[in-house]
Amino acid sequence: MTSLKLIDVTKSFGIGESKVTALDHINFEANSKELTLIVGPSGSGKSTLLTILGGLQSPNSGQVLLDKTDLSHFSKKQADKFRLNNIGFVLQSYNLVPYLTVKKQFDLVEKVKPEGNLSSDTFKKYLEYLGISKLLSKYPDQLSGGQTQRVAIARALYTNPQFILADEPTSALDSARVEEVAKLFKSIAENENKAVVIVTHDLRMREYADKIYEIVDGKISKK
Amino acid sequence: MYLTLNEMNKEKLRYGLIITVITLISYLIFILSALALGLAQQNTSAVNDWGVTHVSMTSDANGNLSQSLMTREEVLNTKTTEHSAIIGVAPTIVKSHKSPISATFIGTQKNDLIDKSIRLTKGTWPKNQYEVLISSELSQKGLNIGDKIKLGMLSHSVLVVGYVKKLEYNMSPVIYGDLNNWRPIKGVSDQFYASGIVRKDAKLTHATNLKNYTKAQLFNKMPGYSAQNKTFIFMIGFLLVISAVIVAIFLYILTIQKIPNLAVLRAQGVPGKYLVLNTLSETLIIMIVSVLISAILCGITVWLIPASVPMFFDIKLLSLAAIGLILTGIIGAIVPVRIITKIDPISVIGG
Repeated sequence: MTSLKLIDVTKSFGIGESKVTALDHINFEANSKELTLIVGPSGSGKSTLLTILGGLQSPNSGQVLLDKTDLSHFSKKQADKFRLNNIGFVLQSYNLVPYLTVKKQFDLVEKVKPEGNLSSDTFKKYLEYLGISKLLSKYPDQLSGGQTQRVAIARALYTNPQFILADEPTSALDSARVEEVAKLFKSIAENENKAVVIVTHDLRMREYADKIYEIVDGKISKK
Repeated sequence: MYLTLNEMNKEKLRYGLIITVITLISYLIFILSALALGLAQQNTSAVNDWGVTHVSMTSDANGNLSQSLMTREEVLNTKTTEHSAIIGVAPTIVKSHKSPISATFIGTQKNDLIDKSIRLTKGTWPKNQYEVLISSELSQKGLNIGDKIKLGMLSHSVLVVGYVKKLEYNMSPVIYGDLNNWRPIKGVSDQFYASGIVRKDAKLTHATNLKNYTKAQLFNKMPGYSAQNKTFIFMIGFLLVISAVIVAIFLYILTIQKIPNLAVLRAQGVPGKYLVLNTLSETLIIMIVSVLISAILCGITVWLIPASVPMFFDIKLLSLAAIGLILTGIIGAIVPVRIITKIDPISVIGG
């Protein structure tokens, strides 16, 4: 089982009177086969937590452990490589390059990371499963919000990462699509042995979660 | 490169407009370079054709060979070799059955350095001082082999017996004739023998009243030559700066529009180096395509412009201008490259 842990992580911004503590001695764990939700009000530190998990920034103190490897002191280049090989990001918007067709979104990944990606058969299975196999020749501006998000999920899965980190992936979707995407993430976690971490305001996703963390004013609690 | 080619394929109009603007600037630079060289050659082509490196003339001529008046004594006191030639240069008016034409008479001696350098393109060699060769440019102005012409204050007519290629000295077409005709054409007394001594070896011993000039110094002393060249260099340099600024502005706007997508790619682990190389390849493609289209336009221009337009398309000079344009494009890409290196992937992850 692979896990991504934060141990006693603190992250603050600014100095003196303008100092803001976004994460205050946080402990967190995401494991493979689990769908973990991070909930909390706006500005509570959810996104900061996600960026530290994804190696986009380092904590002021504490450890970020991928199994037994501490990521908290990675250089920029090491962090890039770590994200490319281990993390699949699904964001609220701008996930897809606007001038690449759906197929070329995956070809781009292949150019940057030629090895270790999904096999052709597995990829085709995902495309079928996500219902986007007939959209390969479309540009992002020809897709609906739901289709775009499903392509973004496929794009995140294409590198065969151990972790899927999603930032408000359902914010642009209607209720039916929210359920569909939640089921999809749950299925990816359970069937593909991935650790899925979702930052969300969307309470409709709670019923699919294996673990729920709530962050309020930089402090975390497990629900 | 992959992102660049796909973006260009998707945004054909946008990139078409950018390439059009850069093409027009490149074309203007090429045309100005050709014009600058063409006009310069109107001053220099005859001297360049002689293959000389230095010229000696009287010091009071201030570097203007056609104003120099060397006495017979000064010529005799100067040691000449097979690599030097005594010449007489006289701006003159050609009178014939046609309208008067301005030209420069170049008087030479039989079998000297200049005489040997002359290449006949049509007709026969002059047999005596009553026969001359004319620049082909004069044939375009109506002078033909067999025409009798009067030059300056020369009392007798001379017969045109042949053409040389288009050669000019100080903006006027040349007429090659006997050195003995120089004095009467110029209208000076018997004490003067020639304008100067040209040569292609090192400095030679000469009378104290004479002064040596290199070929470049001779050209720069020609009225208007230096100012004309500086004007063109300034215009071409300014156009290169403009092209760099235009590339910088276009790429800056395009990059600013793409920042969220580029930030997502960075978040997904795409190295910054990949995106920087992509922008540089974008610049190179824009510049190379623009320069190639400009070169084709220049080829069409060469075909269409009348021979009287003083343009000379020199491949070496145009290649240098093309390299300069591509380099300025890369300089213009510095700003967007800097933006890309500063992109913060965290900016696309919500608060």
